[in-house]
Amino acid sequence: MTSIDVKELTKEYGTTRAVDRLTFSVRPGQVTGFLGPNGAGKSTTMRLVLGLDRPTSGTATLGGRPYVEYDEPLRHVGALLDAQAAHGSRTARNHLLALAASNRIPARRVDEVLEEAGIARVAGRRIKTFSLGMRQRLGIAAALLGDPSVLILDEPSNGLDPEGIIWIRELMRGLAREGRAVLVSSHLMNETASFADHLVVLGRGRLLADTPMQDFIDSRIQPRVRLRTTEGSRLRTLLTSRGFTPVQGEDGRWIVEGARVEDVGPLAAADGIPILELATEEATLEQAYLDLTADEAEFASGSAAGPNRSTPHTSSHHANLSDPSSPSSSSSPSFRSVRSTTDQEV
Amino acid sequence: MSFPAVLHAEWIKVRSLRSLVGSLISVFLATAGLTILVCATLGRPEPDSDDFVEPILFSYYGLNFGQMAALTFGAIAMAAEYKNGGIRVSLGAVPNRGLFYAAKLVVIAGLVFAVGLVTSLTSFLSGQALMDKGFGIGIGDPGALRAVVGCAFYLALLSLLAAGLAALLRSVTGSMCVLVPMFLIAPFVVGDVSQGGSAADFLPDRAGQQILLLHPEGPLGAWSGMAVLMAWSGLAVGAGWWALRRRDA
Repeated sequence: MTSIDVKELTKEYGTTRAVDRLTFSVRPGQVTGFLGPNGAGKSTTMRLVLGLDRPTSGTATLGGRPYVEYDEPLRHVGALLDAQAAHGSRTARNHLLALAASNRIPARRVDEVLEEAGIARVAGRRIKTFSLGMRQRLGIAAALLGDPSVLILDEPSNGLDPEGIIWIRELMRGLAREGRAVLVSSHLMNETASFADHLVVLGRGRLLADTPMQDFIDSRIQPRVRLRTTEGSRLRTLLTSRGFTPVQGEDGRWIVEGARVEDVGPLAAADGIPILELATEEATLEQAYLDLTADEAEFASGSAAGPNRSTPHTSSHHANLSDPSSPSSSSSPSFRSVRSTTDQEV
Repeated sequence: MSFPAVLHAEWIKVRSLRSLVGSLISVFLATAGLTILVCATLGRPEPDSDDFVEPILFSYYGLNFGQMAALTFGAIAMAAEYKNGGIRVSLGAVPNRGLFYAAKLVVIAGLVFAVGLVTSLTSFLSGQALMDKGFGIGIGDPGALRAVVGCAFYLALLSLLAAGLAALLRSVTGSMCVLVPMFLIAPFVVGDVSQGGSAADFLPDRAGQQILLLHPEGPLGAWSGMAVLMAWSGLAVGAGWWALRRRDA
């Protein structure tokens, strides 16, 4: 079983620290989501792990060895860094054939991965005629070429159509079930939530969180309930007296922050308030992530000013979280406490 | 890693790019084709004149054009790796950069040498055959075989020069911006400035082409000229290696 171990990894470009004393591990048998806004250092970290860039200090090893020490590395580690990174004038098949040949992978394996990636039909076409989604599939085919026990994928669902997104999700989950270590970067929260078991979150090159996904959500997002009643004013009085702050929405439903259904239900029953609907609102990864990066933005700018965060609790759109600074201001735990959680994890 | 496996991969990369196959064919067509065309139609020298002492050179009229194709081949073969960041995929498969660079250079130089040898032989034989009866020389005559093989070496060394430069500059355009002036302009400018003196004789093309002469003039002979070209190519290959080894991919 091979894992990825990053220890005290630091990469400086001039005076900029792209990766800052980063330490985390990617375990086999699960999909690890690698999150962070653009420029957080995800891609740089992946290049450092693959020995393409040299770290300023620190180490990155796969199964205890640096990538560059692997003989025929494609048989151990498969990577997709950039779907555009292939010469456009070559056919897809020739592109894979050259990669396979260098690692003494038989040519029939090329046809297998082309089939698996769903691009066997266009294997003889030149790559420059490919759409982004087809290039992405080609990149994934290249990563699978050597049947590796570690997969490193940088935004693999980029440019894929809905069918492709489901395919890559099932593929990654399947690879993890087979006992492989899968590291997948993304900035699509709902997408990541659909396949990741574990999360590593970066911000400005530093580790913000390294934790199982459900723990990450639970630790950052307060529970809340949604309810409907025929006696709103009595309910409000009751809950306010118990320290809750019920808010009535336009549709007549009440939202109670920080409450669980186990708190609200018995209270209402004891007071004889009729309840028409009572439900827990599921916290999403997106909210937890925004909460975390908001703290980070706050920490970095030293200012809590900004519009109130107004992410709907039940949001299900694919938010592109390229700018962590926009959803700023938060009343949740400070960045300092996030760091301490992180340190415990490590 | 196995060197033959990496060589195989580099060979697949070359044969799967039309521009590379095209520039290899151009080496032959430009050199041998132009030689035959020109020799057959235009400038038959007057072999009986006193200054006709270099019959072999007559066969290599097209070399000045064919050499540009060899330079282009070397530059494209190396710089193609850097297009769209493909070098990351290549170094991901072959993380030993020394092995990767060596295999690439061997394939580049090997292919150009092979094509160069066929080109050179064709040029020599056709050029000599087109000369007036009795004045053409045979492959067995002094200096002939040296010139035929030397021309293939010359083209291979040029492709290495271009490949090394391309590894340093990571671009075909950038490399050609250096190579075109170096081969098409510098020989004349430097030659004029130095009044036909020795500086121009040490430029890669002048030095390397001494091998085609029966009676080399100037400071460099046939083999010392080739050695000077090797030094140029070695410099470029060394600079390219320095860049590949030191830089982040």
